[in-house]
Amino acid sequence: MTSGADWDVVIVGAGAGGAAAAYGLCQRGISVLLLDAGPRFEPAVDYPLTGADWDTREFPEKSGSSGSYTFAPAQKLVGEEPLLASISKGLGPVVTTDTRWMEKYHHVRGIGGTTLHFTGESHRLHPDAMKMKSRFGVAADWPIDYAELEPYYLRAEELIGVAGPAAQGARWRSRGFPLPPHPLSYAARTLGRGAAALGLDWQANSRAALSLPWNGRVPCNYCGACNKGCPRGDKGSADVTFIAAALATGRCTVRPDSPVVRIEAGSEDRVAAVLVGRPDGSLERIPSPQLILACGAVETPRLLLASKGLGNESGEVGRNFMDTLEVAVGALHPDPQHGRRGLPDDAICWDFNAPDAIPGVIGGCRFYNASADYTLRGLAAFALRAIPGWGRAHAQSVRRLWGHSLHVGAIGERLPNRNSRIDLDPDRRDRFGTPLARIASWLDESDIARLRFMAAKSRELLAASGAKDIYESYSSWDWFGATHVFGTCRMGADPATSVVNADARSHRWRNLWITDASVFPSSGGGEAPSLTIHALSLRTAGRIGKDR
Amino acid sequence: MKRRNFIKLIGVLSLGGAAAALWRNLFSFWLPRLNDHVAHTMTAVIDLMFPGDGLPGAAELGIHHRILAMTDFYPLMSTGITWLDGWAVRQGAADFLALGEAGRRGAIDAAFASNDGDARKFVTTFRFFGGLTYYNEPVIKTAFSYTGPPQPDGFADFQDPPNDKRR
Repeated sequence: MTSGADWDVVIVGAGAGGAAAAYGLCQRGISVLLLDAGPRFEPAVDYPLTGADWDTREFPEKSGSSGSYTFAPAQKLVGEEPLLASISKGLGPVVTTDTRWMEKYHHVRGIGGTTLHFTGESHRLHPDAMKMKSRFGVAADWPIDYAELEPYYLRAEELIGVAGPAAQGARWRSRGFPLPPHPLSYAARTLGRGAAALGLDWQANSRAALSLPWNGRVPCNYCGACNKGCPRGDKGSADVTFIAAALATGRCTVRPDSPVVRIEAGSEDRVAAVLVGRPDGSLERIPSPQLILACGAVETPRLLLASKGLGNESGEVGRNFMDTLEVAVGALHPDPQHGRRGLPDDAICWDFNAPDAIPGVIGGCRFYNASADYTLRGLAAFALRAIPGWGRAHAQSVRRLWGHSLHVGAIGERLPNRNSRIDLDPDRRDRFGTPLARIASWLDESDIARLRFMAAKSRELLAASGAKDIYESYSSWDWFGATHVFGTCRMGADPATSVVNADARSHRWRNLWITDASVFPSSGGGEAPSLTIHALSLRTAGRIGKDR
Repeated sequence: MKRRNFIKLIGVLSLGGAAAALWRNLFSFWLPRLNDHVAHTMTAVIDLMFPGDGLPGAAELGIHHRILAMTDFYPLMSTGITWLDGWAVRQGAADFLALGEAGRRGAIDAAFASNDGDARKFVTTFRFFGGLTYYNEPVIKTAFSYTGPPQPDGFADFQDPPNDKRR
């Protein structure tokens, strides 16, 4: 491609989507400037996980690594939901108001984005979850199908070094996973016996964590702390996979700490440039022959809306927001498990993942071994959350039961509705004067029905595994703390009801593309989204420059 | 909600940013701005809550110094101790410190069960911060298996039954 700019393509956002797009473009000989609002992280320095205080540290905050946003008024909690009310035996009721607790949109800004602290589940969408409207009458269909994405899934899995089982039901594969699955941890096998007793399948989860050396990276040593950041580089976060590979081509320039505050429209339905905020508050103009937005389902619509509604000809930018529908239940097992050992989320049950798999509710879910990632890695957390009371009896129980906890987690389909959306906060702005994103999240009755099923089945699975003493339970019913967010710039064939087309290009702006989960027309039945984001981004990268 | 931070324990839940205050003050010296009675009563409360039972108790480890360094919580400490003293007076004692161990336990139990929001908040808050500090003490952690840092060794035994000797 030729242009007067220094790069053929400017990408905004160096997370799952931007990184994969950069790699795909560089592989084609196209030069890329990869911008991110956040910093660069140095794993060995920023999250070594060798200190005695490891259990009080979360993934580190660095200057600029969290974006600001606000929440719209929270949804009122209606009725009694004994299975869904978040509670801890040790700490008491978690949510004491009559509205959902809008805790946080969990994300990382930086080179690698939220993949830096993701668990690293690597999932393909269920093929039927891409046909929610035509098959089940809800949400919207994807304008492409599973077969179209399959080669890109393969390519992403290959670069990452995904470890997975021979088969995953409806998710057919034209080639096996690059690496063999990880063995199940002791705790996962305990839960597996419960699953078997209930007649449920329980298999190795497909994971972006190396089970064998791969492309110069060392395999996982099962420390269980993926979410605190992986200092070894065996977790397939975008920085050590797609970005490293893009940089190796010599055609990618990465710029951290470069927040894009506006997009400048050009002539002939093309965008002209992005304006990047400098530390002194001034703006730098960067021409963009082709522009890819990959800031996620909260920041991408914010940037478009703040750029005079660019790309919002349909009025759908910010609409159809879908967040994480989740349940987690913790219980004590009679025998020690020490579920902190091993790969988090190492085992999964897909039995209810198809959109019609849950009786009476449209939209699927999945269950998994959450023992390592519900932060009961530390003694203090266990003592305070799992064991009620205080004094000598409490101390004795802590000593007797330390390591006995098991957690089952469930994540489910989140259907879009007209009340859940991202818009611009009318009152709050960042230091460049750009309005903050405002998050509105609203659960419909079908979401709540799905949550009830997820909570009940999680308890059944724990009980069947021998863990009957439930000491905590949390759900999205009363607690918003999303990490998987979708929708807001939906892809579709109809310009009146979608923001980008099947190639993820703006229906109007010919050089504007979006490669993040904001383009998802539906969320899937609990699948982790990063692999699908990678696949979509690689596919889009293959189309840029072919039709200008 | 984000699974890993779903209940990040430390810091979230109903205590909000109070955990940050603890960590800000964790290593500062005791600021002797509380009167002696409040300081002594707080020390007794924390030690009763985390007595050790075969391990060093909270007072022996100096946990109270760190709690008393939490200046943000001085008003709550004063309110809570006034409540405990009032309970003791109703039992015929001069104040909380004048009670025997059983009486002190009764006072704390009563605070947990109380309809008085301040009393409940007092004991809940200091159970949380006392426990957080106590169970992060190296000497306590080393008495439990699998409490060491995850790296650099990881868990080669992740498929096996737990080993009580593993730190």
